[in-house]
Amino acid sequence: MSSSILTPAGRPDGEPAAVAPQDGGRQRLLPSPVTGQEMVLIVVIALLWLALSLATPAFFTSGSIVPLLVGMTPIALIGVGMTIVIITGGIDVSVGSIVMVCSVIVAQTMVGSGLPLPLAVLLAVAIGGVLGLVNGVLIAYGRVHAIIITFGTLNLFRFIGLQVFGSSTVEGIPRTLNFFGRGEAGRTLGIPHSFVIMLVIAALAWWYLRHTAGGRHFYAIGGDSQAARLAGISVRTRVLMAYVVTGLLAGLASCFVLAQGTSSLAANVGSGLELAVIAAVVIGGTSIIGGRGSVLGTVLGALLVQTVATGVTQLGWRSQLSDLFVGLFILIAVGADLIRQRTRRAS
Amino acid sequence: MTTPQPSTPSTDRARPARLSVSGVSKRFGAVRAIRHADMAVQPGTVHALVGENGAGKSTLIKILSGAETADAGTITFDGAPVSITSTHDAMALGIATVYQEPQLFAELTVSENVFTGRELTRGGRVDWAAQNAKVVELLDLLGLPARYATATVGGLSIAEQQQVSIAKALAGDAKVLILDEPSAILTDREVEVLFSVVRRLTAAGVSIIYISHRLDELFVIADEVTVMRDGQTIGTHPIADLDVRQIVELMVGGILDDARPDRAVPPGDPRLELRGLGLAGQFHDVDVSIRPGEIVALYGLIGSGVAEIGATVYGMARATAGTILVDGEPVRPRSPREAKDLGIALLPANRKEQGLFSFQPISFNISAGHLPLLSRLRVWVDRRREREVARSMISRLSVKTPHERQAVSALSGGNAQKVVLARQLVDRPRVLVLAEPTQGVDVGAKEEIHRIITQLADEGTAVLIVTSDLAEAIRIADRLQVVRAGTTTTEFGPGATQVDVLAAAAGAEDEQEVTA
Repeated sequence: MSSSILTPAGRPDGEPAAVAPQDGGRQRLLPSPVTGQEMVLIVVIALLWLALSLATPAFFTSGSIVPLLVGMTPIALIGVGMTIVIITGGIDVSVGSIVMVCSVIVAQTMVGSGLPLPLAVLLAVAIGGVLGLVNGVLIAYGRVHAIIITFGTLNLFRFIGLQVFGSSTVEGIPRTLNFFGRGEAGRTLGIPHSFVIMLVIAALAWWYLRHTAGGRHFYAIGGDSQAARLAGISVRTRVLMAYVVTGLLAGLASCFVLAQGTSSLAANVGSGLELAVIAAVVIGGTSIIGGRGSVLGTVLGALLVQTVATGVTQLGWRSQLSDLFVGLFILIAVGADLIRQRTRRAS
Repeated sequence: MTTPQPSTPSTDRARPARLSVSGVSKRFGAVRAIRHADMAVQPGTVHALVGENGAGKSTLIKILSGAETADAGTITFDGAPVSITSTHDAMALGIATVYQEPQLFAELTVSENVFTGRELTRGGRVDWAAQNAKVVELLDLLGLPARYATATVGGLSIAEQQQVSIAKALAGDAKVLILDEPSAILTDREVEVLFSVVRRLTAAGVSIIYISHRLDELFVIADEVTVMRDGQTIGTHPIADLDVRQIVELMVGGILDDARPDRAVPPGDPRLELRGLGLAGQFHDVDVSIRPGEIVALYGLIGSGVAEIGATVYGMARATAGTILVDGEPVRPRSPREAKDLGIALLPANRKEQGLFSFQPISFNISAGHLPLLSRLRVWVDRRREREVARSMISRLSVKTPHERQAVSALSGGNAQKVVLARQLVDRPRVLVLAEPTQGVDVGAKEEIHRIITQLADEGTAVLIVTSDLAEAIRIADRLQVVRAGTTTTEFGPGATQVDVLAAAAGAEDEQEVTA
């Protein structure tokens, strides 16, 4: 029906409809795939790498780049899920505890029954998914802010993890997961497998969030959940999904964490990981109030956080300085977001 | 004065109504939002829905748009009974709604906003080019430039966002378009564009349900009008059978007395004086003088600088020229707190953002800012006194609410405005500045707010009203000063006519037209 009203011929003055400017070929229909903040991050990381390779010749060797890439992988991988969660206006501070529960159960099962690699991964991902589902159900149906819910489950999951631990460590873990490690078995052509897996998942998530209706709905929910509901979006299902995806990725990340360790697993595994992940997401330009963000930024944020940690270690500086730098990056990123919101409101 | 009886619409009765509701009711907890609603909207007509705030209009359109579900009653579409239990159901039937507050996503582009929830996809991914092409057509129809299609909504003005909302509603091939107060935030030129779009839609057979407090508009655009009062539909009339006065009487259920109350201002020295007041880039050489008990209105068109004058008196901006005198003493309020200590109170225009703690109870909203006054030893809040003050204010201002513990977010616009007003009345201010005191407020509440303002002036407060509602300015003010191009110009006494004031405000050379 509306086509009859909307065709240019229907205009009273008979003018042709305005045509979108075709500035030399393809017109840009979406905001640039790389935001300003991401460009800044790329430049900062490049400068840091340049400075570090000048300061310590050991930096640009596979002996330090590979651990750096393997080290950032769990942060970036969980960061993919966390980006979706934060885009919807939520947050998940329980991911460290999810990693703990998953890794201890997988480690003990491997010690007990010699679990093969595919089953170990499946087990970890399944447990992560269930814990994510717990978060998702409570948040989507509980109408309590996500930070309260996940702060509760953080402690709850940690309790479960400690019960499974029994004693303080798990000893004699077989090297089943070496495929994801930083050693020779974890690399092909010098590139760590876990890093590639993370990149593939991040790329899929990036495409999904940017180019599918379902992905765009996460942004709509974070922008205005009431308006999203009125637009016919199933807000609860989407929110539930965001936490389940984060749980699944935390499960997978726990395999990477296990592979990085030695044959023993201590009870403090995963503790503080949630802060590194949230730092990576925020530094990557995802707005903490929701509605805006990208996986590319998160991966860059994780790379920056890990570069700082590696750099501080290699320069022989005190490790607290790494916290200082990450803290400053977070404040700068949040400040940039606030200034952006203010200037928009003022205009 | 005879009130016409509801009559059958003159439209073709052979066809069933496009959309009709009968016997619909809805309650929220103890509140019966709709007792009984009957309405039939004919194809290709503009059907106005009017009523005071809280009469049930919003709830009725929420039911039609699927945001709420009716407790009882039937809805038929083209003669067939339908069940609308979600916004999806409504959209599938072709019922599109443009809400009063734009329901948009600030970080997404206009194109994306228009298609959120019903994206055009190709092979699993969103077809950006197809969406964009359609949006460019819609923008053209609404008189907006094509480049807006890929602009982020957060960067647009409120009026542009409103038009994006309309584009959003039109994109879905609507058969029924619900417009909830579409003109409240539009300029007159934008309203013209809106009306031409509405006419084109009705010519193509689309039915429009049009909600507005600007009743004079209805005579320009509407075919029929349904009046709601206290949760019930009172009747449907062809618009030609009524005039504004009759509609208002149906809405309030009584005869309206719009005679200006006769009041005399006692002589005396000015309470508030503005001498050559200026704010760089906003206004300059503003001279105003108000005696105790006097009500002075500053009237100006949007963009004339009139809105900023009130904010400066209240310390929200610091004057760059001239002086403010209270009881002859020059003062320079640097913050709202300092202004308050000087006995100046402000009723802000944008009450949702500046005036209310919406999730807090009414009592909290009234006592905020007066807690020392209501506290034992100025430290512990005396809850009993807080409650008593809130209760007395609720009854004095006739706020419609079950009790003072009600959260303000649950109140209608007019009642919320009364709560903001109540806060300013706890300790009687020496100077009261009101910015757009009755914007978006229904006729009945408007009356009451005017009565309260007049009463306050009678008690000796100097009242400055900054408004773009001309009828209000003429009605309530003892003196009216016109602000044009950033400065005070002509002054009018109580007997001014709207035509004279408008001519002064718009200026002879100014081409902007204003609906009186």
